Amino acid sequence: MKHWWKFLGIGLLVIASIAALRIPLAPALVHVSPDRIAPGPVDVTVTGYNTTFGNEVKVRLVNDGQSVCASSVAVLDASHLTARFDIPSGLRANLTDVVVDGFTYPGALFTEGLGTGITSSTCPEPTGAARTFAFPNRSILYESIRNLHFHVPMWFTMIVLMGISVFQSIKVLGSNSLERDLAAEMAVRIGLVFCVLGLITGALWARATWGAFWTNDVKLNGAAVTGLIYVAYLVLRGSVQDAHKRARLAAIYNIFAFVLLVLFLFVVPRLNAIDSLHPGNGGNSGFNDLDLDNRLRVIFYPAVLGWVLLGCWMYDLRVRAARLANIMDR
Amino acid sequence: MRTPLSFLFLLITTMANAQNAAPSWLESTLYGNGKINVVVGVVAVIILGIGIWLWRMDRRISSLEKEKGA
Amino acid sequence: MKPTEIAALLRLEVALDLRQRAAWAGMLLYVVSAVYVCYLAVKGGLGLATWNALFWIILLFAAFNALARSFQREDAGRQLYLYTLVDPRSVILARALYNGATMVVLSLLSLLVYALLLGTEVLEQADLPQFVLAVVLGGIGFAAVLTLISAIAARAGNGIGLMAILGFPLVLPLLLTVMRASKLALDGVAWSVTSTYFGGLVLLDVITVSLAWILFPYLWRD
Repeated sequence: MKHWWKFLGIGLLVIASIAALRIPLAPALVHVSPDRIAPGPVDVTVTGYNTTFGNEVKVRLVNDGQSVCASSVAVLDASHLTARFDIPSGLRANLTDVVVDGFTYPGALFTEGLGTGITSSTCPEPTGAARTFAFPNRSILYESIRNLHFHVPMWFTMIVLMGISVFQSIKVLGSNSLERDLAAEMAVRIGLVFCVLGLITGALWARATWGAFWTNDVKLNGAAVTGLIYVAYLVLRGSVQDAHKRARLAAIYNIFAFVLLVLFLFVVPRLNAIDSLHPGNGGNSGFNDLDLDNRLRVIFYPAVLGWVLLGCWMYDLRVRAARLANIMDR
Repeated sequence: MRTPLSFLFLLITTMANAQNAAPSWLESTLYGNGKINVVVGVVAVIILGIGIWLWRMDRRISSLEKEKGA
Repeated sequence: MKPTEIAALLRLEVALDLRQRAAWAGMLLYVVSAVYVCYLAVKGGLGLATWNALFWIILLFAAFNALARSFQREDAGRQLYLYTLVDPRSVILARALYNGATMVVLSLLSLLVYALLLGTEVLEQADLPQFVLAVVLGGIGFAAVLTLISAIAARAGNGIGLMAILGFPLVLPLLLTVMRASKLALDGVAWSVTSTYFGGLVLLDVITVSLAWILFPYLWRD
């Protein structure tokens, strides 16, 4: 069964895409109103995201480690509730956190009437709800964290295809084979398709997350340089007529460019320690410790493999079509 | 050319209106489900891109077939 | 590949350049007029970041201008004759060395002209040895990348246009690193901080030259 990898690729893509779109986000608190409290009775309305507020919900305020329990809680629906507090005077910190069951909205309430502290009350602990499998709920990203399974695999696929191209180019230098040269060119062409898709999807996501389609970021510069290099590669191919000479020149440029590109993408950012908006560079926390937790990883790696296999399939088709065209030209 | 453009416009305005009509907590928080539209857009772009590639591949193979027939 | 071969080739380069003094004059004129245009355009005080960026942009284009000649000034017949006599690896190494030296001289001259025309206030608080080192390493790096690119462009039979298209994305890693390093040098940052950048620059230069050394013989075969 020589087509097994195609089935594997499509299967992985189907499963990973459905999972990426359907798995719920972990519940979180997203809004608290009002935003300031003063000593005395106050009603605080809390808005949750993917939460299941029920009658047994436990609400409290935490100020510098000291708790104030809700005197009464009115649940409006699964994601809204209003809690009444009697705010004592003498809280220590400027900002008070709101805690609903296991979820915290840090620094939700600006606190007036500060003092030296209160006698902390022991609030009823929530009954530990069973945690379902869910994607992490990160502020600013929220639902768009699902894009991780669509945008990032584009770059993985592109790098794999460019790697295939370099492998073929090295073979070209050893054998002078035009067949290999064709394969190298087609790998670059398919890689560029994924480069364009990665750029557009990245721009959309960036606009929604960082507020601009393009930011001066290491990863974005890397993407731009990659695109430029491989467009230049195609220009070089276009400007040489003799097939064997073209094969050799293109192979040399491809190898030279790929090594410098790898340096640019993976070494220079570390060396320069430039701050990046992307995770894993500069001042940002890496994928490893926080952002790409196991819940994401379980879907992310199959998605990457699926997209890579799809890219390889596209590359395979393109090479075969080009080979046929060559045979017919003869 | 006119029809697809106006359709696109319609699509965009309905999306915008849908956001406007959303419950007020959505607007006041800027957080809620609006973010899912980004995912929808990204998936749409990828499907469109692969579709364009398939279209070009189709054309390429058609021209091969024509060449063979001639 | 023998040291004597490389030395002979270097002497050949020098002799050729002495015969074509107009080319050197052309390069210098290019730098001077580029700097003068900048001087006319900005008139007066430049911020440190802009001063640095403008300098490297001028140097980048000067490098393209200077190194485009590297493989294009000799016709195919003479190249063929040359390569039957010596190992192609000696040729690329000699040429990279010579281009590196050219770029160092050109960079330092550019720096002189640039500082004279666009003001030296920026240099007063700078760590001058560090800045000069950045300029030297950057010049060598440009030479290392562009020597092979110049050879490819010359073999493709397409002149300076192709060289700019092929070379520009490839010098970017170097350009970004060296701009960062020289900016730190201008800020007067201590060696302990900048040494990683200089290490990185040396690494980039070495990797680029060794790649050129490995790949050039294949370029030569016909």
